Amino acid sequence: MGNKQTIFTPDLSFYCRLFYRYRDLAPQLVPLDYTDKPDVTLPYELIGSMPELKDNPFRQRIAEVFSEDGEGNMTLDDFLDMFSVLSEMAPRDLKAYYAFKIYDFNNDDYICKSDLEKTVNKLTRNELTPEEVSLACDKVIDEADLDNDGKLSLEDFQHMIIRAPDFLSTFHIRI
Amino acid sequence: APRCPSRTGSPCLFPAAPSPRRPGASPPVPPPGLLRWQWQEVQVPCLVAAWILVASLAKIVFHLSRKVTSIVPESCLLILLGLGLGGIVLAVAKKAEYQLEPNMFFLFLLPPIVLDSGYFMPSRLFFDNIGAILTYAVVGTLWNSFATGVALWGLHRAGLMDPGVKAGLMDFLLFGSLISAVDPVAVLAVFEEVHVNETLFIIVFGESLLNDAVTVVLYKVFNSFVELGPAHIHATDYVKGVVSFFLVSLGGTAVGLLFAFLLALITRFTKRVRIIEPLFVFLLAYVAYLAAEMVSLSSILAVTFCGICCKKYVEANISQKSRTTVKYTMKTLASSSETIIFMFLGISAVDTSKWAWDTTLVLGTLLFILLFRAVGVVLQTCVLNRFRLIPLDRIDQVVMSYGGLRGAVAFALVILLDGAKVKAKDYFVATTIVVVFFTVIVQGLTIKPLVTWLKVKRSDHHKPTLNEELHEHAFDHILAAVEDIVGHHGYHYWRDKWEQFDKKYLSQLLMRKSAYRLRDEIWDVYYKLNIRDAISFVDQGGHVLSAAKLALPSMPSRTSMSESSVTNLLRESGSGACLDLQVIDTVRSRRDKEDAVMHHVLRGSLYKPRRRYKASYSRHFISPDKQERQDKEIFRQNMKRRLETFKSTKHNVCSSKSKARLKEKGRKKATPVLVMVSSDEEESNSSETEREDDEGIVFIARATDEVLQGKKTPGSLDVCPSPCIIPPSPTLAEKELPWKGDQADLAVYVSSETTKIVPVDMQKAWNQSISSLESIASPPGIETGPQHKRFTCPVLEEQPQSASQVTPEQRSCFQFPSHVSKSSRSQSDSSPDGTEQQELQPLMAAEEPNRIVPSTEPRWLIQFNRASHL
Repeated sequence: MGNKQTIFTPDLSFYCRLFYRYRDLAPQLVPLDYTDKPDVTLPYELIGSMPELKDNPFRQRIAEVFSEDGEGNMTLDDFLDMFSVLSEMAPRDLKAYYAFKIYDFNNDDYICKSDLEKTVNKLTRNELTPEEVSLACDKVIDEADLDNDGKLSLEDFQHMIIRAPDFLSTFHIRI
Repeated sequence: APRCPSRTGSPCLFPAAPSPRRPGASPPVPPPGLLRWQWQEVQVPCLVAAWILVASLAKIVFHLSRKVTSIVPESCLLILLGLGLGGIVLAVAKKAEYQLEPNMFFLFLLPPIVLDSGYFMPSRLFFDNIGAILTYAVVGTLWNSFATGVALWGLHRAGLMDPGVKAGLMDFLLFGSLISAVDPVAVLAVFEEVHVNETLFIIVFGESLLNDAVTVVLYKVFNSFVELGPAHIHATDYVKGVVSFFLVSLGGTAVGLLFAFLLALITRFTKRVRIIEPLFVFLLAYVAYLAAEMVSLSSILAVTFCGICCKKYVEANISQKSRTTVKYTMKTLASSSETIIFMFLGISAVDTSKWAWDTTLVLGTLLFILLFRAVGVVLQTCVLNRFRLIPLDRIDQVVMSYGGLRGAVAFALVILLDGAKVKAKDYFVATTIVVVFFTVIVQGLTIKPLVTWLKVKRSDHHKPTLNEELHEHAFDHILAAVEDIVGHHGYHYWRDKWEQFDKKYLSQLLMRKSAYRLRDEIWDVYYKLNIRDAISFVDQGGHVLSAAKLALPSMPSRTSMSESSVTNLLRESGSGACLDLQVIDTVRSRRDKEDAVMHHVLRGSLYKPRRRYKASYSRHFISPDKQERQDKEIFRQNMKRRLETFKSTKHNVCSSKSKARLKEKGRKKATPVLVMVSSDEEESNSSETEREDDEGIVFIARATDEVLQGKKTPGSLDVCPSPCIIPPSPTLAEKELPWKGDQADLAVYVSSETTKIVPVDMQKAWNQSISSLESIASPPGIETGPQHKRFTCPVLEEQPQSASQVTPEQRSCFQFPSHVSKSSRSQSDSSPDGTEQQELQPLMAAEEPNRIVPSTEPRWLIQFNRASHL
């Protein structure tokens, strides 16, 4: 995780802003003085129950991917990591890696059909029938699967996503 | 009002004054006769029609040579043509008669172009770049106007200009305001042929549309200042000018949004009057334009936003045919308006009575507009690049500066000036004409080589892949979620909120229930991909092949499959241009067998639908799930059959052959295939030119349909009514199920093509497309009533026609139908082909379960026919 920190511009006020933002999520849990309790975590329930997020299909997955324990409980480090990945200065490969991780629901380092089905279901809010979803996922895999193993490896994914012209412009957040 | 009050009510483009062309002026008391010469009654519309005809014919001539149009933009050619025609008129009539009247331009010629560009604006791209577009449109235009105006005034003060140019600072500012606005018509005409990348295009083009508000306000304000005279201007007038800018731009946008809302709402209720759906689109957009013009708001903004905002809902509500109609009508109108505008620009320039030449003014203006535009673009881009993720680089800036074309809007505005108040009007007119001609002709000619030379990133017309669609959506959600988590209200946050609002309220309010369910973009893309794959398969089968064509861009891994399918297709079409004779021989027999099998399938389920329909009717109240599955099965059967016919017609099999298949039960061998060479040619032609077009298949279908008709008339009158006799009016099914458009039919054709030809490999694709069709045919949310109608009514309607087809045996089986007898009969029918069937197991396996599911033969004919008339 250390390498990601260097991506930030060494601007302290920036960190401060992020810290306050992090603290705003749960003022009662996060102390202003971090020296005594370095491992404060925000439980997922707190993030997942935010009213703005209740319609977002990916809230849990994001918290899981970016949190160190894999269960959505975020520390300040995780929080900062998230920003470094989504920062516009982050290299494309890093972005692609995290995007890949978000899709990879079962954490087996491949996007397989079940992962894609989950994604499609989330995106379409379960409005498609299972057959339709399965067909669409077949097609997606077929499009991007270079080595014909029926699932998408990180290389497949990177190849596909870097070819897409506006991946860089979509996968970033400006604070 | 910016333009209206000063627009004179003169009879526009075509003066009613007697012209030497008008022969036979009627004598005072016309003697009673059989015929009377009534030129005067028809003069105006006749002249209008004649001009449009001339312009359109000229376009045909231009496009005869591919070389010329690839180098010279059409707009240049049209202006030159206008110059020539104007010269002829001048020589004949001894005075310039026709010219582009501002009234005509703003009320009739401009709205179609703006509507077209607004309606087909890629909205996501537009709103992604809205910041840059607005900056260039507002700040850029302001800068250009003031800088140009002041600089020209400086030239004038320095005594470099002819003393005849009597103009003060305000006059020059007025001139600057009208000459500095980039013109949407010119930009569109030139950039459409250049194909720069989307971001560049949308920025220049969006700017040209949105700067209308600035132009209107500046023009209005300076015009009133000039008319008041500098002595009477108070400080409050400047404030008023600033306020009116916001009023005009926001007001125009609001009018556009209001009418977009109305339009979407109205199209929600046009279910029963499909035929006038397209009319609403045009009428309401035009009314929006007029309404904005009436209250002197920015009419271009109104129409642009009306088009952008209504599209999503309108497209979802109206039928597929209406969509096609809207698309083509809009394009036709816009294209003819553009043609006329450029031609009349040329013609107007001939009218030297309005000219007053001053070299300094002309050269100065040209220099300043180029210079200040470049400076403005560079400065603004510097600022903007701080906020843009993908900065605009130097090359982009060069193209943006160079692409600032001026056009007919500037010309119309300068004509509108009041000669009594603006003393230097004649000079301004001449300068404007020169500037417009320079930008359109010189810059238009050189921008293409420039773009090539600078290696500007071109737009790649890649087909949308499902992956991109999927990830785009996923990323939108992910980023919105991240922004939510951190409580940062950024771009994604607002877009997400807007989409939720849209989904929850707007779409519910403005879209039909049926359309609403189907608005799933991922599925849309998947569906379109399937159609495209299928189309390319068909296309490849249609003409001579090259190895490059064999690869399907969207499914690279299937190259080998497509190759084999092409061979098969070739053979199917009966053309001699086969790749591999060996293969053909071996497959030939199989194909015959396939034919035979298909024949049995067709025979087997010919008249079952009625019984089935009754059954489903009695089960009216069963659970929706069952109902749905039933419908799906029926639909699948239907589609399969339809595909089969399509294939035979597509490959120019004589129509009577397919008839014969239906009629003569025992025949095993397929009749010889008839190849229509002429239609082949037509087909390849159309698919060649329309390859880029979404609707390429349409043309193909139409071509074969003609073949069908031509074929039918001699021979098959006594056989049975051909499908072509049935008029292509919307059938009940279509009326009831708006979303079940002709697209469905198209998709099916294709996929069946693939399945049938490559039985094993393509089975998957086949199933996919079939089920994609199913999903269209029977979305869960549909009320059951219409569905029943859909299956019953066609049968009833077609009863008289189909009666002639019914052989005694068919009748009996249709009266006493049963699964067992039916299927066993078809089994026995095909028993001689038993071995062949085994060969075809992969294909048949999929068909077997469906065979018992019936459907209406007549309906199939209708639908096929409908599609072909698309």
